[in-house]
Amino acid sequence: MKLDAATSAGDIPEGLVEPSLYVGKVTPGSLDDQVLAFPETRPPRQWYFALAITLTAALIGVISIGYTFYLGIGAWGNTSPVFWAFDIINFVFWVGIGHAGTLISAILFLFRKRWRNAIARFAEAMTIFAVICAVIFPLIHVGRPWLAYWLFPYPNQRALWTNFRSPLLWDVFAVNTYFSVSLMFWYLGLIPDIASMRDRTTSKLRKVIYTVLAMGWRGAATHWQHYEKAYLLLAGLATGLVLSVHSVVSFDFATSVVPGWHMTIFPPYFVAGAIFAGFAMVVMVLVVVRETMQLKNLITMRHLDVMNKVILAMSCIMGYSYMMEGFTAWYSMNEYLHHAFMNIITGTYGWAGWVTISCNILIPQILWFKKARSSYFWMILVAVGVTIGMWFERFVIIVISLHQDYLPSAWRIYKPTMVDFGVLLGTFGIFFTLVLLFARVLPVIATTEVKAILPDAQPSHHGDDHHA
Amino acid sequence: MKTRLPDHGPLETPRFWRTLEERIETPEAQQAAHDEFLPGAIPTGPSYDDVHGLPPQSGVSRRDFLGLVSAAAALAATVACDRKGQGTVVPYTKRPVEVVPGVANYYASATHEGRRVYPLLVKTREGRPIHLTGNDEHPGVKGKTSPRTMADVLRLYDPDRLRAPKAEGRIIGWSDAESRLHAALAGAKAAGKPVLLISGAVASPSRKALLADLKAALPTLEHLAYEPAAGDAAEVAGLASYGQPVDLQPRLDKAKVILSLGADFLNGEDPEAQAAWGAQRRLKSAHDPINRLWVLEGPLTLTGTNADQRVPVAPSRLGAAAFALAKELAAKGVALPAGTDLSGIPAGAPAGFPAATWSSLVKDLRTAGRNAVVLCGAQMPAEAHQAAHLLNAMLGSEAVGVRATEPLATVKELEAAAQKMASGAYAAAIFWDVNPAYTFPKAAAWKAAVAKVPVRAWIGQVEDETAAQCQLLLPENHWLESWGDYATPGAAVLQQPAIGTLYDTRPGEDILLGALKALGTNAPDGYHAYLQARWKKELPFGTSFEQALHDGLVKAEAKTPAPAFKGASVAAAAKKAAASKAEGLELVLFPGFATHDGRHANNSWLQETPDPITKMTWDNPVAVSVQDAKALGIEEGDLVTLSLDGVTVKLPAVIQPGQAQGVLALALGYGRTTGGVAKGVGVDAFPFLGLDPASANARTGARLAKAGGRKELSRTQSHHRMEGRDLVRSLTMDEFAHNPQGHHHGPELVTLYEEQRFPDHKWGMVIDLAACTGCSACVVACQSENNVPVVGPEQVARGREMHWIRIDRYYEGELENPKVVHQPMLCQHCDNAPCENVCPVNATNHSPEGLNQMAYNRCVGTRYCANNCPYKVRRFNFLEYTAYKTEPETLAYNPEVTVRPRGVMEKCSFCVQRINDVKIRAKGDGRAILDGEITTACMAGCSSDAIVFGDLKDPKSKVSQLVAASRAYRVLEELGVKPAITYLADLKNPAVEGGHHEA
Amino acid sequence: MADETRKPILDRMAALVAGPLLLGREAMNLVFRPDPEASPGAPPAPLRITVTPPEHAIKRRG
Repeated sequence: MKLDAATSAGDIPEGLVEPSLYVGKVTPGSLDDQVLAFPETRPPRQWYFALAITLTAALIGVISIGYTFYLGIGAWGNTSPVFWAFDIINFVFWVGIGHAGTLISAILFLFRKRWRNAIARFAEAMTIFAVICAVIFPLIHVGRPWLAYWLFPYPNQRALWTNFRSPLLWDVFAVNTYFSVSLMFWYLGLIPDIASMRDRTTSKLRKVIYTVLAMGWRGAATHWQHYEKAYLLLAGLATGLVLSVHSVVSFDFATSVVPGWHMTIFPPYFVAGAIFAGFAMVVMVLVVVRETMQLKNLITMRHLDVMNKVILAMSCIMGYSYMMEGFTAWYSMNEYLHHAFMNIITGTYGWAGWVTISCNILIPQILWFKKARSSYFWMILVAVGVTIGMWFERFVIIVISLHQDYLPSAWRIYKPTMVDFGVLLGTFGIFFTLVLLFARVLPVIATTEVKAILPDAQPSHHGDDHHA
Repeated sequence: MKTRLPDHGPLETPRFWRTLEERIETPEAQQAAHDEFLPGAIPTGPSYDDVHGLPPQSGVSRRDFLGLVSAAAALAATVACDRKGQGTVVPYTKRPVEVVPGVANYYASATHEGRRVYPLLVKTREGRPIHLTGNDEHPGVKGKTSPRTMADVLRLYDPDRLRAPKAEGRIIGWSDAESRLHAALAGAKAAGKPVLLISGAVASPSRKALLADLKAALPTLEHLAYEPAAGDAAEVAGLASYGQPVDLQPRLDKAKVILSLGADFLNGEDPEAQAAWGAQRRLKSAHDPINRLWVLEGPLTLTGTNADQRVPVAPSRLGAAAFALAKELAAKGVALPAGTDLSGIPAGAPAGFPAATWSSLVKDLRTAGRNAVVLCGAQMPAEAHQAAHLLNAMLGSEAVGVRATEPLATVKELEAAAQKMASGAYAAAIFWDVNPAYTFPKAAAWKAAVAKVPVRAWIGQVEDETAAQCQLLLPENHWLESWGDYATPGAAVLQQPAIGTLYDTRPGEDILLGALKALGTNAPDGYHAYLQARWKKELPFGTSFEQALHDGLVKAEAKTPAPAFKGASVAAAAKKAAASKAEGLELVLFPGFATHDGRHANNSWLQETPDPITKMTWDNPVAVSVQDAKALGIEEGDLVTLSLDGVTVKLPAVIQPGQAQGVLALALGYGRTTGGVAKGVGVDAFPFLGLDPASANARTGARLAKAGGRKELSRTQSHHRMEGRDLVRSLTMDEFAHNPQGHHHGPELVTLYEEQRFPDHKWGMVIDLAACTGCSACVVACQSENNVPVVGPEQVARGREMHWIRIDRYYEGELENPKVVHQPMLCQHCDNAPCENVCPVNATNHSPEGLNQMAYNRCVGTRYCANNCPYKVRRFNFLEYTAYKTEPETLAYNPEVTVRPRGVMEKCSFCVQRINDVKIRAKGDGRAILDGEITTACMAGCSSDAIVFGDLKDPKSKVSQLVAASRAYRVLEELGVKPAITYLADLKNPAVEGGHHEA
Repeated sequence: MADETRKPILDRMAALVAGPLLLGREAMNLVFRPDPEASPGAPPAPLRITVTPPEHAIKRRG
């Protein structure tokens, strides 16, 4: 009898049966062969080609940052009154991208959403890499980067202490905590897979490396018991962080007096935006991954469909937030706030406001259609649109609000320089370089977790396809 | 008690010993051996081991060893620190008696710009003049001076200064240089050939005497005093109206009604006029007397922005309008001076002049009578000046002093000199502190003419266009290194050096004295002796020369009779004025606010001080009226071609609200071809200067066309409307009487937080917008006091200027003739400062005296504070603006103020160094700080006394009383930031309802 | 004891690393001292400008 996992659950009523989370026949052995053997194969020429492109972009970024260190912040377009521009836009953008991974792996884990199992690993890795890109900015954007460590409260002979009232300091803690917990969570999940790879590999060097990384994992029952407990605890920890980190980032703006920044809606609005941007980036990368790494049977159209639904939901929340911004501006009768909002839709940078609204609100509405949710064209279009739109949303919040605040005498137009674009390009280069390297050296799918949804793992399963 | 013992224990016989005594094991010896390393090396307090009950290991614990090693390493690191380019610090081996390190010395001195004299107090530190203010002893200026004068201290340290004499491009010694000059002069004397000497205005009696001596020794000497920015028309009109050269001194303290015909007396140049203006504007109540300022002008001047009633009138129509006014007054019964003929002037209001405005202007002048004054702008045509003279004579105005003075050469006389030079008549030419090669309109003709003079000597500081045409270059002292004297109304003023010469330079007078001696006249050695001899003869009984030097002046009224007005001169001028009409556009050429006639073009402080009207720095765009810009399709920053009489220049345009239709305005003093700072900044407008002195600066027949292309304007303010926000409150006298705070009454703000407490002092400031004219003297004063860096035009264009105080200028109402308000904006030192709580490293915080202070050393440059500052007064060092500076530029720094490196935020400190200076002195004297004892640099620099600083904790202080004044309000008070600066609403005293909105 | 526990460990570590480095640099500078005569083409270092007090002037205060 040949049965799929879903249909094998004989005693579950028809309507509640989950659609299959994989296609065709997948056994623990075939899964290992498919996923764990991949890093052992020689990379194709296209991979080197892609790596060359991303490394070039990263190099441009490094040169741009070096030039900034040499010349000063004046190398960028930042000016008075737009003291923050690409630096903080990029920071918030990358922190936002870094939200999907932990959401998928932690929150959806707690909610027992089993479709997350196949994509959690990749999404988490993207979180780590995005946060790495994000933390570059707080370091390089300060006027005297060689003193950036002063932002940490460490004991010193000058008896100087940091200012705990500053949201910028909260940022330091929030992002650091988020990064460390995400990294631990990701690494913990990797341990059983690394152990499998250790056992499979024939290369001596790989064996040594995997042995060290596997931390003596033997797959014993006690190991699994501790593993599950730790995973659950970290998932619980990370869940809070998913909500807190971008809320804290939003405090940078919400607690200030700048009209257009000083908004109580910012924390939830930022979190929703971050999940939105993160999911879009995950969809974009997953499409490429499932096509190029022959993972269509594990990352199915159903995964993408669910992801697109999340994107659609977040798009609606974003739409609501934008409308609330306008409503607040009108209802508050605050002339400064009113001016700040009108600037978004009619000001010098009105085009950026409309790019944001179109990319984040209008275009994703196509995902109401099932056809669009299962069409590469539409989902890539939406994902790219959301990525652009969310970058511009931060541009709108930061640059448009700053360039015209209280005293019209100080108003000024902001123009980015080539160095600004160089740094932005560089972070994309760093991000995708890390993604490419990750795809080559570590299992991109958590095999242990996928095994949990295979029919073999089901208590009701008495399959006879073990021998197939 | 545990005792520390050697490792081997006390009872064993040591296997190794250090001394014989130790081997013998006497208790004393053992103690001595034990104690050997005790002091310092071994902790005397309870050690870690003791506290934790560990057995003693050795004399020095591991922790202490590490501590010592790290301390040694840190010390080594400190010692090894060596920053590039820093030399050894060497104290004075022989300290000059005058100089006490760390203590400022003040010298009374003076300088002049054209005929205007500025008595000064020079602040020096370690022998270096670093800051200039007016001489408080002088009865006229009363401690005030002009922005350009304040910035002139930087010229002393101009790296471009010529440091030794030069001949044919080679450095030579003074003896060689002098013998060349003397040979040329002696040769000319022997041959009876004329020698040309062109200098600036002679405002100094001793210099005048010296020139007379030289003329006696060298009868063929022809001296021209030329001031290209003085306005030839004023000179011509003065000669016509009074029969002799005159200098007009406004006495605004006596003026109830002031009519300005394009006169810009509130632009900071005239501290006396501005002080009198301020005194009549700082009203406590609506019942206080206030003057009324009428302005009829083409371009918008700073005075025009302060007008109560302003009517845009093109310069060509100004004379006719003023004569019509005289005719109207005469018709109303005001007596005309004898011989006056106004028959050429049509009766009634000039065309386009609103009838109601006209009649109230006539009424105002008639009513004010002797308390009315008519002032005419130097650049206006001669007819307008003559009409102003006539009006003042008719009204018998007491508010203007007419003084006979030394003549100035006009462009016509310069042209004659050029022709004579071209004919080869002159044996030699000396150019002393003048730059005709740049300022003469026909530069090519001048160059060709000068080349025909066999010996050409140049006396000056920075090699300029004229120096390039001379063989012999004689470097002159800066005035801060020189002696001199001036005659001013009310006092004879002395100029004494505040520093020894920095280079191998001499005062120009010394060079002339040398020539005098070489020509065989007995003369003292050096100008100091010459001047002292003259002064000792003329000093009043009981006054010593030393006392005069100490005070900088001797009070004395000039006893020359006032010249009489000649009525007969009017007929011709009136006829000319009536016939005057403009073909094409009118072009007004006015001295640049920063550069004057180009002499200040190499001063980077001034180049970066925004023009008070256009807010332009580092450039002189042509100002086009709103109507003309619309007709020609010109937008701000568009490149245009301006042509007149065959001269064509391509330059950017700005659209100037309030400028009369058909009028263009262009600043002189830019487009220099020499000087490290000046070179290539803006365009040279001197080629447009007319050769007819009667209308040299007000030309007609100009053409303007779009040239295609744009230029990014280096402007510090790009948005000019207030957007209906309650930022600058401006009241008419009516409104002031009924509703002194204006219409804005916000609710009292409540806070959940504890109020800030200030135990001893709470520093605060009040700025009276009614007295502030927008002259920007405070900006320059602050730049000099606080080592504010200059960033250059590209950085200004990107919004990165560093001024700690700026003047916000807003237009309101119709663009054709808007109401203009100025608002000095600086750090408001908020009690609830939004910048303070967002700094992650606590680099900016609040002092217990209410100062919002910056710890530059702690700043890492996140710029969050600047984002969160609602007033946008924080300045960020985007690039390294200071580290690459070397001597002599660094000598201009105020040693009391930290020089900020790149990546650091900075802002106004309320001149905390001055506060502390006074506090320390008061403490030393064992007394309280007096009210008014602390002056910030901006306050001291403000001629109209619009800024008052003091202690808000002291209820009797001036600032406390002003804070409670009826016009008081705070900017953005509704944010709850509690600024420490209170503004007093601006006042306008219009004669006609809505008087500002008519064309 | 409170002061004991707050001993600035990072400062000390920084000093431990930086001290030898800077000392080493200084030592190398002593050994390979750039010869002032070595580069005749280089412009001479600008002489410091001597500031002298004015002669005969009388100060107001200070």
